[in-house]
Amino acid sequence: MNSEQDRRPLNDDEISRLKQQRCTATDWSRVTCTAEFSTDQIWDARFDGDIRLGRLTGDVTVGDNDQRPAGIHRATLRNCQVGNGVRIAQVGSEIANYNIDEDVVIEDVGAIVAMPGSKFGNGVEVAALNEGGGREAIIFDQLSAQFAFLQVAHRSQPAVTEQLTRLAEQAVSRAERDRGTIGRGARISQVTRMTNVAVGEAAMLSGAAELENGTILSAAEAPTSVGTGVIAKDFIIAEGTDVSGGAVLDSCFVGQGCRVGKQFSAEGSLFFANCEAFHGEACSVFAGPYTVTHHKSTLLIAGMFSFYNAGSGTNQSNHMYKLGPVHEGKLERGCKTGSFSYMMWPCRVGPFSVVLGKHTRTFDTRDFPFSHIEAKADGRCEMVPGLYLSTVGTVRDEAKWPQRDRRGESGRRDRLHFKVLNPMTVGRMLRGVATLEELKQETPRTKKTVSINGAEVARVLLRTGVKYYRSGIEMYLLETLVSRVESARAAGSVELRQLLAVESDAVLSEEWIDLAGQLLPRHRFDDLCGMLESGQLESVEQVEAALTKCHAAYEKDEWAWVHWAYKQVFERDLETLDEEGLRQAAQHWRDVRTKFLKLIANDAAKEFEEVTQTGFGHSDAADERLADFTGVRGTLEENKFFGQLQEQIAEVEDRASAI
Amino acid sequence: MSDSVLDRVKRVVAETLEIDAGSIDDAARFVEDLGAQSIQSVELVAAFEEEFDIDMDDDEALAVKTVDGAVEFIAAAVEKQHG
Repeated sequence: MNSEQDRRPLNDDEISRLKQQRCTATDWSRVTCTAEFSTDQIWDARFDGDIRLGRLTGDVTVGDNDQRPAGIHRATLRNCQVGNGVRIAQVGSEIANYNIDEDVVIEDVGAIVAMPGSKFGNGVEVAALNEGGGREAIIFDQLSAQFAFLQVAHRSQPAVTEQLTRLAEQAVSRAERDRGTIGRGARISQVTRMTNVAVGEAAMLSGAAELENGTILSAAEAPTSVGTGVIAKDFIIAEGTDVSGGAVLDSCFVGQGCRVGKQFSAEGSLFFANCEAFHGEACSVFAGPYTVTHHKSTLLIAGMFSFYNAGSGTNQSNHMYKLGPVHEGKLERGCKTGSFSYMMWPCRVGPFSVVLGKHTRTFDTRDFPFSHIEAKADGRCEMVPGLYLSTVGTVRDEAKWPQRDRRGESGRRDRLHFKVLNPMTVGRMLRGVATLEELKQETPRTKKTVSINGAEVARVLLRTGVKYYRSGIEMYLLETLVSRVESARAAGSVELRQLLAVESDAVLSEEWIDLAGQLLPRHRFDDLCGMLESGQLESVEQVEAALTKCHAAYEKDEWAWVHWAYKQVFERDLETLDEEGLRQAAQHWRDVRTKFLKLIANDAAKEFEEVTQTGFGHSDAADERLADFTGVRGTLEENKFFGQLQEQIAEVEDRASAI
Repeated sequence: MSDSVLDRVKRVVAETLEIDAGSIDDAARFVEDLGAQSIQSVELVAAFEEEFDIDMDDDEALAVKTVDGAVEFIAAAVEKQHG
């Protein structure tokens, strides 16, 4: 913006020239300008109220290489401040009550109006998870997935909720302004109507139909775009996000790095980092980081998701015409739902599970991560515990999420952990093993299936589940041990006791919490809630700082947990592990890791088997089918992922030997 | 006279895949001929382990594609584990 010291009223000559250029003002004395002001590029403008003009000379770049003159052409401005190098042209109605920063381009728009006292989408209460209310999240422009999770999902401590509400309202009150803002370098074109919308730096708004009561956060390193036909009301869209293609948002928060479009509609929903939502519909959804829904006929309703992939036609029901829409569901991180899968809430699905079919009965599989959950013809739920632990999809997911993080490098709000195996998922496996073992002991061979919280498991698979989970648990514990030793020794630390010791400020909890992408021990979570309850955390920034502190402690807390779990699983204390014990552990790790990688490789190889080639080729000739398949998919040996697996298998032996 | 390994394998396959044991050829392929889905392959391995009281390596067991291949694999495992 221009320096206030340089500001001056227009002189008579300038007013005269502006009049010659068909400009009018309700009161020319209320039109001020910067020292280097020139009237040359202001034509057909109408000024109403207090107008503060910057240096409107030279050209601005519109699009890739399209240079157009800065200035004001055919526009009505009311109570606006216009920065240097701005271009405003073809405004159908008016721009009112806006501060327009330097190098902004506004062209071919209808009305851009802000009302005094607007909060620009801050303070909207989003009825996430329960459309009937009771879990509202107050949205504001610095909202993180973790803060929202606490608001929405943690209602068991009313004092915590009350404090969060107070803090959110504080943040909302800071957003209240008498003027709208359009940040430096923003581009707004062909937007029909924009009311009470704050636009951030470098944002691109093109062809949006109607935007009302919202904030479009944006940054030069992570510009946000809002495109054709978008209708958004009561919203906040965060940096690096693209909302386009006729998307309709009503009472929504869309976090950083998201993609929403292709006529997707959402109401009362929260989307956090790197979500993708196309074609379908969301209603009262808490879409945690990396929630992805790409298909038509997919309705996500009253659910909590993260690192989730919704197949086409995925659907849920949240009430049965009794007391209203009171039911809700949780699919914990990493789940997938197959085409036309249906769940009748309430349901809770353990992490990294796959749900297929039409489930007309409720189930809770939280202690059985990585499971295959399929509906039988009569709607009952059938589960294969742990099946997806060693499948290629799970391993690929872990690698692809960090690579697909579209957020800018700085200012990331949601704290995320990407590791598939971690104290939360492995802790669940430990609990799953205990349950499966117990059922294995007590179930007679005459029984074909057993029921676990609404999910049926074939009796013979109880043992298989234990086997799968044990291998996952062992691999995680040993892998963490080996990696720690490798890192410490690479950094010069050689004394075993020292490098295996748990840090004095680490926190040990058997249970870990997944706070919408951030993993932390239960005790840290409880401490955080305690600080909220006691009023120790007095601002959103302080809550975020406390969460960041927990995030930074992840590795030491994880190591404390591994110490504890190692003792449970191997009956060995890592504190007393000597070099020989370490070597044995490394050999054990080599065996389980190699076996795991081979299972993944076998799963990948299935994608190249003869049965997969069905549908390839035009004739019945097997060689043509194979050639067609190879032409499209390549060969197993050429497959990059398969090659990487082979390399990893080869490395395991070397790594184990080096310990 | 006790059932042969082949008969027991076919019985387990029939029960798991819910098909008629009489319709299973010795050389039948689990996926292509008998329609076993990957989930059922896992259940088959578990059922074989229980029927023959053996532990099967998943990696190797899931590489077996046919009924007679399973008979051979299981017979070897039984011999190795129960002598």
